[in-house]
Amino acid sequence: MLQRHRREISLIVSILAIVAVLAVVAPGFFTFANQRDLMLANMPVLIVALGMVLVILTGQIDISVGSQFAICSVATGVFARMGLPTPLAGVGACLVGALMGSVNGALVAWVRIPSIVVTLATMVALRDGLRWVTQGAWVQDLPPGFQWFGQSQAASEVITAGCAAVLAVGMNWGLRNLAAGRVVYATGSSPNAARLAGINPRLVVFAVFVLTGALTGFAAVCNAVRFLQIPSNAGIGLELKVIAAVVVGGVAISGGRGTIAGTLLGVLLLGVIGPALTFLGFSAYWERAIEGGIILAAVSMDAVRVRSGKHADIVSAQPA
Amino acid sequence: MRTSLALNQRRPWREICFPNGEWVLALALAVEIAIFARIGENFFTLSNFFEVVRLSVELGLLALAMTPIMITGGIDLSVGSIMGLSAVVFGVLWRDGGWPIAAAAGAALLLGCLAGLLNAVLITKLNLPPLIVTLGSLSLFRGIAEGITKGAENYSGFPAGFLRLGQGYIGGVVPVQFSFLLAAIGAYWVLLHRSAIGRTLYAVGFSPGGARYAGIPVQRRVALLYFLSGAVASVAAVIYVAHLGQAKSDAGTGYELAAITAVVLGGTSVFGGRGTVWGTVLGLFAISVLQNGLRLAALPSEMTGVLTGVVLVLTIGLGRLRGRARSNQATIDEADAMKNSQLAILCCAVVGGSLIVAGTNIWLVRSLRPADGVLATTAARTLAKPGKRPVVAMMPKSKGDPYFISCRAGAEEAAKEAGVDLIWDGPTGLDAAKQNEVVEGWITRGVDAIAVSVENSAGISTVLRKARARGIKVVTWDADAAPDARDYFINQATPEGIGFTLVDEGARLLGGKGEFAIITGPLSAANQNAWMEFMHQRVAAQYPEMKLAAMRPSDDDRDKAFAETQTILKVYPKVKLIVTISAPAVPGSAEAVQQAGRKDVFVIGLSLPNLCKRYVHDGVVQAVVLWNTKDLGYLTVYTAALLVEGRTGKDSLQAGRLGTVEVRGSQVILGKPFIFNKGNIDQYDF
Repeated sequence: MLQRHRREISLIVSILAIVAVLAVVAPGFFTFANQRDLMLANMPVLIVALGMVLVILTGQIDISVGSQFAICSVATGVFARMGLPTPLAGVGACLVGALMGSVNGALVAWVRIPSIVVTLATMVALRDGLRWVTQGAWVQDLPPGFQWFGQSQAASEVITAGCAAVLAVGMNWGLRNLAAGRVVYATGSSPNAARLAGINPRLVVFAVFVLTGALTGFAAVCNAVRFLQIPSNAGIGLELKVIAAVVVGGVAISGGRGTIAGTLLGVLLLGVIGPALTFLGFSAYWERAIEGGIILAAVSMDAVRVRSGKHADIVSAQPA
Repeated sequence: MRTSLALNQRRPWREICFPNGEWVLALALAVEIAIFARIGENFFTLSNFFEVVRLSVELGLLALAMTPIMITGGIDLSVGSIMGLSAVVFGVLWRDGGWPIAAAAGAALLLGCLAGLLNAVLITKLNLPPLIVTLGSLSLFRGIAEGITKGAENYSGFPAGFLRLGQGYIGGVVPVQFSFLLAAIGAYWVLLHRSAIGRTLYAVGFSPGGARYAGIPVQRRVALLYFLSGAVASVAAVIYVAHLGQAKSDAGTGYELAAITAVVLGGTSVFGGRGTVWGTVLGLFAISVLQNGLRLAALPSEMTGVLTGVVLVLTIGLGRLRGRARSNQATIDEADAMKNSQLAILCCAVVGGSLIVAGTNIWLVRSLRPADGVLATTAARTLAKPGKRPVVAMMPKSKGDPYFISCRAGAEEAAKEAGVDLIWDGPTGLDAAKQNEVVEGWITRGVDAIAVSVENSAGISTVLRKARARGIKVVTWDADAAPDARDYFINQATPEGIGFTLVDEGARLLGGKGEFAIITGPLSAANQNAWMEFMHQRVAAQYPEMKLAAMRPSDDDRDKAFAETQTILKVYPKVKLIVTISAPAVPGSAEAVQQAGRKDVFVIGLSLPNLCKRYVHDGVVQAVVLWNTKDLGYLTVYTAALLVEGRTGKDSLQAGRLGTVEVRGSQVILGKPFIFNKGNIDQYDF
């Protein structure tokens, strides 16, 4: 148990350490309002991370999610301005995301270009394509019912958080207990073995990219409805945040190993650091350095323990 | 997979020259050159060739160092941040420490080595995946650089002898820094393709376990590469400083992705075991020629990203098809390889899918355009050959910023009235190096006038002087360069005026006392830092009872400004005024205050009326300070046009619909900053 979940444990230790310091120095951190705002602010990262876990579990990576996020945000606004009710506009944006994911997925799965190459290409192409057509303009004059899905602010926040929670719990359960979940692990561990076991690894890879696209669309919608305007440059750097959260959460970058629970802890740690430093009164100038230090410390912690525990496994030193 | 290691069979010449399928890329590069030689102005010249080379040296160094790392199956995302840290340390030691240039450069190099060593130790001693380690050190190194300089410190004024390293030419033709790139290419070529160590690197990439059983010290080899990568990145940093004439914490931001793009474009496998130095060099130039060519052909620079993506997928995709067709390895993967016909159908499907995505995009935005009043004058207008009309090239600090987009509206209007052609191009984010690159491109192309909103005065002045020496008229707008580097500066408002106006307005709202907070753009933004400087001065001198509680960055991102404002409201409950000095960030701050229901908190800032109208009417935002951005763009282009025709007056000029505009010395004065509030904001549309 301890061996299997050592990354999760070191994450929990890190988070508890930060929380303990906060409890002593800045108890205001634990007010309901602050917790709610923090959760909502990290919602896009969390939802995209749910898709990214699957992609990384199959041994692939998707660095185009930031660009997809921007396009889906703009798409939400454009659909809403065409007169679609907000939920429908949101579904439309998810479809746009799924479409972009399917282009990535097809290129990776069937043309067999490495995923980092494909998504690097779509990252720059989609981002610059969006800049080209919008010329940087924001989507403004959204219909009055757009904000908060036409509900009250509190209701909308509950809906969003509820959807994210259902997704997270559902995927956590499904990954372990459904055939559709286990094939993801099988494909990531060994595509050839998976194939011999009757799984179509390419279809699995294609599917996880499509799902990630759709989830990115959903994240964009959840974020868009909190405001009155939609900027066309959203999501810059989102891919790094999401990948950092996933790999810090213990998902092996080489595929086949990792859990949704670990990812949630990763999102939690990275999401807490920034505001926590503000609450502790650190200068904004040193914040990035401290953030980087904490990430390195958190991931080094379990590695040091492994080394002292058992003889290091040389092959695992060089993941693909 | 084949490599250059299969030695004992006769190989056709193509495989000897292009062992890794680089011919696809070489072909793409040749096609690029052929196309741009036709449509670009002054593209196919020796001086432009060296210009392209000169501008790709720093990136080239990083890409070369990245190549063997990726061949062993690793990755180094921290190279751009190491550049930033080395540049800053170099500047600190030289200016504040009083060290001689050579010693400071040596220390920067040492620091790069140390940074590389840290990566190496974490990766090899702790067995952590390189992606995670370098993702963490990416933040760490950049963060230390920002911490040391407080984001704002900008080291410049380096001696001319040092600047020659990045700006001079050997024999008047060959750029000095080219020699560094050549040396690095040579060194890495020997390391990878002509040394025993190089062969072991391929072995490690194929199978680290196998390599270890073959007696290769895997950990040491891998560690060496990350160490070298840190060292090379710091060399790149010193060249970058010499090239731009400034050392700042944002040096090399985003270079890691550009370097990785060059490497994978060059055919290096991200799974390790495959790749050549030759391919990386081709990849590097495929990208820089594309950027340069688009600029010289005055095509929209957004095409760079789109085309880079297409070239990337095509070259790697074709390379894989070839590899599959010729390979006879009986792996399971090959056993179910698709027939060509299936593959063709699939390719069509993928291309079709991309077209749908592109199509929906264009359609989406078309539907949004007329109502938003976005200018529909992009490709069609800039594509037109200049003919006899004068060409005015105008550069914002950042193309995506709504502030500059609204300036452009006025610029287009003036271009039409004054009968000139307007080229509008610039970096997509704040990026001093990119600004220099764009101006260099315009000089090569031979435009009639250049108008720049300057990000880094020291760095761009050298290039602007070069432009003036070639007879190009130079105007600066929004932010100034050195006075001798331009003909006129279109002065919309001094940093002093902006800082003081903001503080005065805030003090009026607060009644002269209380706590306030500032939300700025990126920490390293030059304009914002100058405004804050004057804000501090004004508060200290005039309002001793006002106190700055916190200053937070928004990175010009609305959502980040929103989150930062929420946190400030909770951490500093006594803050009654938020001053947000970044155009896209003001709506974020306003939304945060509105959602928190804090009716007692005022928001003021620097933004566009259109972005803030709703919040001003809701009573969340009390005042937005700005000048008329449309008029600023209009006046800039009009002044440039008058300059080209030689019709500028001494004390005033006749600028179309603006009438007579005052000229003070070499400054054209637009007028005072406006304060937009509930009463007047509806009269403005920009």
